Amino acid sequence: MKHLTEEELIECFYSKNKAANSASRHLEHCVTCSEAYAALHGDLALVTRVEPPARDAAYGERVWRSIAPTLPAYEARQRSWLHAGVWRGLSYAAACAVLVAGAFIAGRVWEHKQIRTTAGANPTTIPQKAAPPQQRLVVVVLSDHLERSERLLVELKHADTGSEEMVTPLRDEARSLLAANRVCRQNAEKNDDPALAAALARLDHLLAEIANQQDGLNAAALTRLQNEMNSDNLLFEVRVLRSRIPDQQPAANNRPIRGTI
Amino acid sequence: MGKNDHAAIRAILAGDKEAYGALVERHSQSLFRVAFRITGNEADAEDVVQEAFLRGYRKLESFESRSNFGTWIYRIAVRCALDKIGGHAADETSRVAGADDPQLAEVQVADGAAGPDRLLLSGEIAAMQEIAMNSLTPTERTAFVLRHMEDCTTDEIAAALGIAPNAAKQAVFRAVQKLRRRLAPLKVKI
Repeated sequence: MKHLTEEELIECFYSKNKAANSASRHLEHCVTCSEAYAALHGDLALVTRVEPPARDAAYGERVWRSIAPTLPAYEARQRSWLHAGVWRGLSYAAACAVLVAGAFIAGRVWEHKQIRTTAGANPTTIPQKAAPPQQRLVVVVLSDHLERSERLLVELKHADTGSEEMVTPLRDEARSLLAANRVCRQNAEKNDDPALAAALARLDHLLAEIANQQDGLNAAALTRLQNEMNSDNLLFEVRVLRSRIPDQQPAANNRPIRGTI
Repeated sequence: MGKNDHAAIRAILAGDKEAYGALVERHSQSLFRVAFRITGNEADAEDVVQEAFLRGYRKLESFESRSNFGTWIYRIAVRCALDKIGGHAADETSRVAGADDPQLAEVQVADGAAGPDRLLLSGEIAAMQEIAMNSLTPTERTAFVLRHMEDCTTDEIAAALGIAPNAAKQAVFRAVQKLRRRLAPLKVKI
């Protein structure tokens, strides 16, 4: 049989509901434990309840009188609490405002940084954005333009006024070349190349003449244009310009020219 | 009484300081009783009562309306008493050191209770009890007083002392062990 420890005996001694206590049931059957419990009971019985000296009925009133002068009224404390509460509320509001402003500024900075990063990664975006929408970027290779122009001039030289199928494509090609020719001419003027600029100016005039023929090229107009081309030695000049490009300015003139129309 | 206490507390918090007087008058006796049992000294007990009511007033805003004011202020008083006897720990230590000497204990008893044999024995028991009680630590003494004299449960002791229930139970256990050792010589005489 397992006997009760001293701690269990003490717990049993102070238990208010001894009947429900398992230690109490054990004590009924165990002589050793019941003797130990009796000894504990005897020892604790020696510790009598200390009875405090009697206080008269006015004791409470005396206590109150002694402490009352030191107690602040709660009304004042409530006001100070309210005051502190208002300041606390204002502090929270200010902190929130600073947070919102900080978040707004951080957002703006981040947005600007993002745009700059995107622009750096794709530099063509900015010119495209900056250019008006009606403008188109025309990239012309001068040598290709001169080759096409030469071909048109050859066709014009051998054009037959009676053949409608031959004249109509000539006019369309002239319209197509006109825009590119202007870009090339402006670029030549900018690069200080008067020979090229002059040749392209004469070509520009001729192309404009061809392109503006609304009712097709009649015999008189075709003859006039052919004479104009021949008098200017335009075909020859274009061929010379073409031939010099690879020798004199291979890199510069084969470089794409940017311009707007 | 509980309703009256709550009404008084509402009045105090609304600015009526005098309403606290009713609470003080109503609970002073019970606070003095437990304070005296813990401190074992009338003057200290009165100090504890005043200190408890002062602390209670300052903490009144934290008092929950569902609680019982009597229980609440009682716990505050127990803490104040514990602080009081804790502050006197050095004095108590010297007194306990003297109590270890049986001869000195006999002298103290003889001085305090002259007269017939029975009265002498009764005085001796009271003196030995006081010596034994003084041998306890403040927590053990308070826990034992609450358990043995105030009939508090372990949970109530724990709540009053602000410790875990198991720690409260251990404090009572250690107090009983120490008291039994101190009071053992008396058993032979009886």
